[in-house]
Amino acid sequence: MDTAYCAPPPQAPGHRVPAGLRAPFSGRTWREFLHLCLSLPVACLMFAYAVAVVSTGAGLLITFLGIPVLAAGLAGARGLGALERARARALLGLEVAGPRPLRPARPGPMAWTVALLRSGASWRHLLYAFVHFPWALGAFVLAVTWWAVGWALLSFPLWYRLVPGYAGLPRLQLWGGGGTVVYVSPGVAAGISGAVGLLLVLAGPWLFRGLTQVDRLLVRGLLGASPLAARVSELESDRGVLADTAAADLRRIERQLHDGAQARLAALALDLGLAKEKLAEDPDAAARLVDAAHGEVKTALQELRDLARGIHPAILTDRGLGPALSALAARCPVPVAVQVDLAERPAAAIEGIAYFTVSELLRNVAGHSGARRAAVDVWRSGGQLMVLVADDGHGGADPGEGGGLAGLAARLGSVDGVLVVDSPPGGPTAVTAELPWRG
Amino acid sequence: MGGIDVVDDRVRVVIAEDSVLLREGLTRLLTDRGHEVVAGVGDGEALVRTVAALAAAGTAPDVVVADVRMPPTHTDEGLRAAIRLRRDHPEVAVLVLSQYVEEQYATELLADAGRGVGYLLKDRVAEVREFVDAVVRVARGGTALDPEVVAQLLGRSRKQDVLAHLTPREREVLGLMAEGRTNSAIARQLVVSDGAVEKHISNIFLKLGLAPSDGDHRRVLAVLAYLNS
Repeated sequence: MDTAYCAPPPQAPGHRVPAGLRAPFSGRTWREFLHLCLSLPVACLMFAYAVAVVSTGAGLLITFLGIPVLAAGLAGARGLGALERARARALLGLEVAGPRPLRPARPGPMAWTVALLRSGASWRHLLYAFVHFPWALGAFVLAVTWWAVGWALLSFPLWYRLVPGYAGLPRLQLWGGGGTVVYVSPGVAAGISGAVGLLLVLAGPWLFRGLTQVDRLLVRGLLGASPLAARVSELESDRGVLADTAAADLRRIERQLHDGAQARLAALALDLGLAKEKLAEDPDAAARLVDAAHGEVKTALQELRDLARGIHPAILTDRGLGPALSALAARCPVPVAVQVDLAERPAAAIEGIAYFTVSELLRNVAGHSGARRAAVDVWRSGGQLMVLVADDGHGGADPGEGGGLAGLAARLGSVDGVLVVDSPPGGPTAVTAELPWRG
Repeated sequence: MGGIDVVDDRVRVVIAEDSVLLREGLTRLLTDRGHEVVAGVGDGEALVRTVAALAAAGTAPDVVVADVRMPPTHTDEGLRAAIRLRRDHPEVAVLVLSQYVEEQYATELLADAGRGVGYLLKDRVAEVREFVDAVVRVARGGTALDPEVVAQLLGRSRKQDVLAHLTPREREVLGLMAEGRTNSAIARQLVVSDGAVEKHISNIFLKLGLAPSDGDHRRVLAVLAYLNS
């Protein structure tokens, strides 16, 4: 993200300035330096605040007043933590999700107090104020001294002549104290200073990177969501995907029922109604209507059977993946070789998702790939169920275009599964799905 | 205007239904009964266009029979097209067919209090005679509400305490009346005399505190407004 270098953009690859030389001018370096500088006042403020909260709260704990004071202090610490996260985001490019918002069991100040005191995140924010202070102090001193000395020495050859005390002296004291005093000519002094300054300035970006790395760790570890909370939010999003796909499935089934069997049965009822009316006066016409109705019933039955299979194939429940996938392959217009190598059956939900993964992928093979043959392989690898669908079509399947493959990947993700698509233009295509076994 | 004697009158119909099978079935059914199907379309836009073109040519249909759910969104375009037709061409009656009966749809359709509105469950086409009756009734400015809608209205109405005062027979009559049936049709259905039906109806209006009104359609609207309030 840090491409905003101060150095002029290179005109040709040959004139490119090495990254190491550009670093002292890069926006990233200066932002990190700014962060380290700002850390001092911010840390002082937070430290003073934390000390005040703890001492006041603890001091008042013998009276009942201490508890709400402490809770209010923790709420303030969370607010300061949010500012710190914003500062880290702006200057360090660090994206850290904040802790979960407090959810008091009931409305009212009592419940809020309890929630604040019970939340580990609140205490971690307070801890940050204490831990960050000494670190920020040291880092500030080191960074500012290093950077100031570096630039001063680097520019020494430019400005030493302007200092009245140095002007006209034949020799300059390069290093003094401790008995030995070294005098060199002004030119040599300038050269040595410049070289040392250059080293300091070139090393500065690395130093800042290292120092801010500690800041990043502190922010992530103490001001971020706890790993458990992060997992919870991940699961929540998975649950959302699952609910969405379930709703989409229901809509699809309803559509198919509405457009297919329902319309057919309504037409059938209509034909039979007409036939009933005509039975006495025009038996021939009635017979024709009954004949048409008979045909419609058979078609409606076929459609219902297909729909039921689409919801959950009976053979999958009865016989497992091998026979179910063979039956699926037999209905695919492209010849499919199926090999299922499983000694036992995985969890029913996993079986179902594996089946629909293959079903979707074979639908793609038949619809878009132009393949002449395809293969389905299913095997177990440790705690994983592996499903591979390959075809010799023209490839170019893109999982990112928000189409069927993206939906499939989301569905697999909802059970912690993964979809890997290898489909170079020109083919062949191999799609691998990896699902937890959960037997 | 009794149920059965209007069957002989020719009615000009436009059918909007996306399932070709059903569209053909409906066409067969209506032409078989001597009515004229002047157009069959497959979506709401085409329905509005066709009716506008027919009306511009001075040959507006008497009634439109429209499926609620049609392409492109497969939600309620048939209903929305019907409501638009009610506004733009009040002289054209509208009978809406639906796979599911939603009282909300019926209320929207009846909201403009115009004449000639119907809302029926699609399955009702199987009862050929009754369905054709309903088409003709609506074409003539009457009302046809599906018994399920009426049952929903009766069940959901907040006037339960008043409704509880009706005798079972009066509730039956109220239901049939809300469906839009004429006195003689109600009498035929319940196998009683026209006079008995009239007596039940005046009792119902008395108990509900409604002013007796003549004209089947206005009567239906009064009852529906009462149940909905």
